[in-house]
Amino acid sequence: MEVNGQLALTVLMGVFLITVAAWLARIEDWRSYTPLAGGGAVGGTKEQYVSEEKPSGLIRWLTTVDHKDIGMLYGVYSLIAFAVGGLMVVAMRIELADPSMTLLSNTFYNSLLTSHGITMLFLFGTPIIAAFSNYFIPLLIGADDMAFPRINAIAFWLLPPGALLIWAGFFPIPDIIPAQTAWTMYTPLSAGVGSGNQMNAGVDLMLLGLHLTGVSATMGAINFIATIFTERNEKVTWANLDIFSWTILTQSGLILFAFPLLGSAILMLLLDRNFGTAFFSVDGGAILWQHLFWFFGHPEVYILVLPPMGIVSLVLPRFAGRRLFGFKFVVYSTLAIGVLSFGVWAHHMFATGIDPRLRASFMAVSLAIAIPSAVKTFNWITTMWNGNIRLTTPMLFCIGFVSNFIIGGVTGVFLASIPIDLILHDTYYVVGHFHYIVMGAIAFAGFAGLYYWFPIYTGRMYQTTLGKWHFWLSMIGTNLTFFVMVLLGYGGMPRRYATYLPQFATMHQLATVGALILLVGQMIFVWNFVQSWLEGPKVEDGDPWDLGEDNLTTAEWTWFERKLQTAVTDGGEEEEAELATDGGETVTDADDE
Amino acid sequence: MATKTFDKDTILDLTVNMVPLAIILFFVVAFAVVNPFGFESLASGLQYTLLIAPFVLLAVLTYLSGKAIAGSEKSDTVYPPGQATVPGVGPLHEEEEKAEAALEESADADAEETAE
Amino acid sequence: MDEAPGLSDQYRTASPWPVFVALGIPISELGLLFGLFPLAVGGLLLFCGSIAGMLKESGYVESTIRSLVVLSAILFAFGGALAFTEINLVTRGYATIAAAALLLVGGVAFELFVWDNKQAI
Repeated sequence: MEVNGQLALTVLMGVFLITVAAWLARIEDWRSYTPLAGGGAVGGTKEQYVSEEKPSGLIRWLTTVDHKDIGMLYGVYSLIAFAVGGLMVVAMRIELADPSMTLLSNTFYNSLLTSHGITMLFLFGTPIIAAFSNYFIPLLIGADDMAFPRINAIAFWLLPPGALLIWAGFFPIPDIIPAQTAWTMYTPLSAGVGSGNQMNAGVDLMLLGLHLTGVSATMGAINFIATIFTERNEKVTWANLDIFSWTILTQSGLILFAFPLLGSAILMLLLDRNFGTAFFSVDGGAILWQHLFWFFGHPEVYILVLPPMGIVSLVLPRFAGRRLFGFKFVVYSTLAIGVLSFGVWAHHMFATGIDPRLRASFMAVSLAIAIPSAVKTFNWITTMWNGNIRLTTPMLFCIGFVSNFIIGGVTGVFLASIPIDLILHDTYYVVGHFHYIVMGAIAFAGFAGLYYWFPIYTGRMYQTTLGKWHFWLSMIGTNLTFFVMVLLGYGGMPRRYATYLPQFATMHQLATVGALILLVGQMIFVWNFVQSWLEGPKVEDGDPWDLGEDNLTTAEWTWFERKLQTAVTDGGEEEEAELATDGGETVTDADDE
Repeated sequence: MATKTFDKDTILDLTVNMVPLAIILFFVVAFAVVNPFGFESLASGLQYTLLIAPFVLLAVLTYLSGKAIAGSEKSDTVYPPGQATVPGVGPLHEEEEKAEAALEESADADAEETAE
Repeated sequence: MDEAPGLSDQYRTASPWPVFVALGIPISELGLLFGLFPLAVGGLLLFCGSIAGMLKESGYVESTIRSLVVLSAILFAFGGALAFTEINLVTRGYATIAAAALLLVGGVAFELFVWDNKQAI
């Protein structure tokens, strides 16, 4: 049996490798690379493959190293992950409509809880940011592409296997169950110690998947740092670099210091689980894990929130008809958040009994980091103040971001204070707080970006009424669900439980209603997104938002304008168009698009 | 004074980071003055390191970024952020003058309206 | 439609290697972690082979064989460390060494036969 399995695996692997090699031999001419000079092609395959800009069909997407295509792949990937994570939490919220265990078993609830967190943070949050940054950073800074296009592609392609490994426990594979460690993976539970079921290989697979997403994020970060430092157009100096690039640069710096640490900690945990090492099982091992995890985990919060702040700082002024108020304040405060985020990690551990002197220091820095965030908030408000505000869908999402960020931020400041934290620790208050940031702010900024740049990446316009419905349902749903959670926390409802005391039932039911409103809103979004992409009216103007009127056009829209102008007519070849011009007629290329 | 990298404007921009620095400094002093948990070399050493390390790093990064930004303001034309390569957008100071002129115009129009 | 106005024609916007580099990492990780010999060997071959292919494609190295030799030396060292030191993970060590050997053989075969074919054309 054992031998048969090995044999089957060997055959499978061999066939797979031979297929890969055969495929590569078909599309690639290994000996004829001419990276710098053209024309050195041997045979026909190379000709097709390179001289036309991109291969067609599925192969184009599998082999692309173009930053825009990779951005699109990231976007599609993260929206799928968002749907998966969202449906997971809908199942959890429906279970929580009733105090006892009804729909889901407690262990399955724990599995969903774990996967929802990891999916939303690592498979949706980080990639959706990478989608925007891949597509738009090179355009905004006037670069041809990313500094390392192939590394960029590798970074993306690590994510799908990562997702499959993280979700592996849910697939019908014998003897493998989903991880139930929560996204923080605290030891000794996650080390598989004790009589629980967390020694299962499902947890190993989840850890491997998480490790892959970490490698991917690190590769992306190196690429962005190199790109922003070295590939800028000569007119784009540090003094006029746009705010989104600043936030991505800072975020990449944070990733560079935080994610390798997560990777190492995960490897240590895997060694503990599989090879009998004792990193986390000796005395103090549990607290060691918490230190390592949160030294990554808190910067991760800012890794997720800084670029959305950059998107809002970029988009919000465009619809307020004026430039961002105090631009440099926003830049410097972004950098300040970047540095200080590494000095606050143990505020997640106030209740673990660490030395009170250390706790006090972490509280001090946590309070200090509130200032740069508040500065940004005031800058957004003053940008809108007396501005010529146009309530388009992206603008609504930006305003929603500011509103939710204020609630999420203020609830956070209280948690930074040790005495309050000791009372509210591990209650729904914390859950409400960070969901205001993660859903109310980060996802909202993501939607703002998706709508704002929709004309660029689809060439079409979305349906505005559906966009507004999406916004209002998301706004109401978010505030209902998560404000109720804040109140539940005040009532003392502990987090992470599938069942609860009947006294919390009404509040929980309200939160479930809010989650269902969110679900309806997101279904409208998916419909709008897909239908408009396929059938929406084509954008023929390079400036669909009329940014030129206020002289607020940024570089990516200029690129889009040029792209529209150079568009070749549908039926004709490029050469014909040129001939016509030579014949003395002025041809406007884009007119019969 | 014009040759100095850190002119008045730049220093004004940097004040935003001096606030968190001041808060950290306040706690350094506060923990020295009010110390309910007593002194113990390892814990207290870590306590101050955890405050001083972010303080120093933030100060260094603020200085370096301020120098980079103010330096390129001196050496190159400053365009509005994200708009350097956009045709039709002039240097930042021209754009600001335009915006101010437009503002005054509309203010004049408002004044006329109220006069009527 | 000009996807990238102003971009040089010679700029390559496609490469087959990244997706296989990315697949090689999880396959070899799974193989090495769970001690699945074929997965470990196959994953490492895929990973190192794709790395070599990509280095060649992007013009960082001139000959494929040299990068394959270097990669196989690294694998030999790693596999040796796993199998013959105190770490004592014998199966995984042998898997890595097997991958290193196959890589070396593959590289030599490629250099001898594929190169000749191309010259003949």
